[in-house]
Amino acid sequence: MLKLPAIYAENYRDWLPEMLDACLGTLKLAAVSFLLALVLGLVFAMCRTSSVGLLRAVSGAYVEIARGLPALVILYIVYFVPPQLMPDVALVALSGFSAAVIGLAIQGGAILAEVFRSGIEALHKGQTEAALSLGMTPAKAMAHIILPQAMRIVLPPVGNYAIGLLKDTAVCSLIAAPELMLRAKDLASSSFEPMAVFVLAAMLYFAMSYPLSLAVRLMEARLGRRG
Amino acid sequence: MERFWQVLAQKGPYFLATLVGGLETTLVVAAGAMVFALGFGLVIALMRLSRLRLLRWPAIVYIEFIRGTPALVQLFVIYFGLPDVGLRPSPLQAAIVGLGINGAAYLAEIYRAGIAAIHRGQMEAALTLGMTPLGAMRYIVLPQAIRTMLPPITNVAISLLKDTALVSVVAAPEIMFFARNLVTETLQSMHIYLMAAALYLCMTIPLSRFVAALERARRAWR
Repeated sequence: MLKLPAIYAENYRDWLPEMLDACLGTLKLAAVSFLLALVLGLVFAMCRTSSVGLLRAVSGAYVEIARGLPALVILYIVYFVPPQLMPDVALVALSGFSAAVIGLAIQGGAILAEVFRSGIEALHKGQTEAALSLGMTPAKAMAHIILPQAMRIVLPPVGNYAIGLLKDTAVCSLIAAPELMLRAKDLASSSFEPMAVFVLAAMLYFAMSYPLSLAVRLMEARLGRRG
Repeated sequence: MERFWQVLAQKGPYFLATLVGGLETTLVVAAGAMVFALGFGLVIALMRLSRLRLLRWPAIVYIEFIRGTPALVQLFVIYFGLPDVGLRPSPLQAAIVGLGINGAAYLAEIYRAGIAAIHRGQMEAALTLGMTPLGAMRYIVLPQAIRTMLPPITNVAISLLKDTALVSVVAAPEIMFFARNLVTETLQSMHIYLMAAALYLCMTIPLSRFVAALERARRAWR
């Protein structure tokens, strides 16, 4: 344990460029999944609050299942099952990156669907009616009344989801997606210094997630005050 | 498609039996880690609330760092890293300690928020009425705090249960470990992973419904 500083001093010139490069892979993976999850979340939130019973039921089942499964299981299903089912179709033999993005987005979409749904439901319908009766156009009502309130409710949980997503990218190493943990595992076995390498990986994840969590806390404080 | 049902009928029971073999370890790891986290989390929370900087700062660093790093990395540090310094945990030990340390950080924040949320006036009123601080804690503050904390604590339990899937990578013989080996043997990834998924859902969905019921009851009580 006390040898760590010495180990780092000796090796950082070899390790750091590799690990930082892998961090970019992690960030890329997280960013793409996040965007896809946002879209899926909005779509399924609409379904969840729809007046069509079938849409509500199906999206409800999707949300419950995708949230109740470990991310690892979802990733394995997305990565291993399609090639087995359709061995002749090259399209479904997803790369590690693609499978990771889709798998994380499937779970993220479910999580965000619930977040957006509570945001939508929390806004009293009377707000829209009041705005319209005051003579605002629907667009103005949306822009000045609904969306600002919805943002206040929704942004902190979305921010927290983003932090969780960044950490979940580590699991994608198990389906060979190009990110930090995968590189760390290789490096740990090739350098015979697992403790040093994994602690370095931990510090890099922390360096990526801590600014985000500070930003979320700042956002919560700012948004809370104006309420 | 027909093959799906054929294989399910022939091999299904065997797959299920193998996976359920992993269920015991899953539950042992989850329960052990939860107990560890509940206790250790309380220690960290009390340190976090302490007036001594010597106790507060390590607690803050612990909470921020553990919450800011993935559970998988923590497991790897414990299982693959500790042997470097002489400690050789078994897969099960690494799993319980690793997930326990992770859960404790989240629970510490929950405890802190829960205790702080109880109006200080409650404690003052109790003391005015002649109760000892300990008695006030036991009969007035904690019962109210626990009611507020139960949903988030149960959510940590659900996450913990899902995170047990990760300990398969440190060779703990739980569900995903058996699932992966079975798939390597038989190449029936769909049946096996879908069954594993069903097993996890059987555990997490009732717990989620329980949390939802708790939150509804709490709102009604107000």
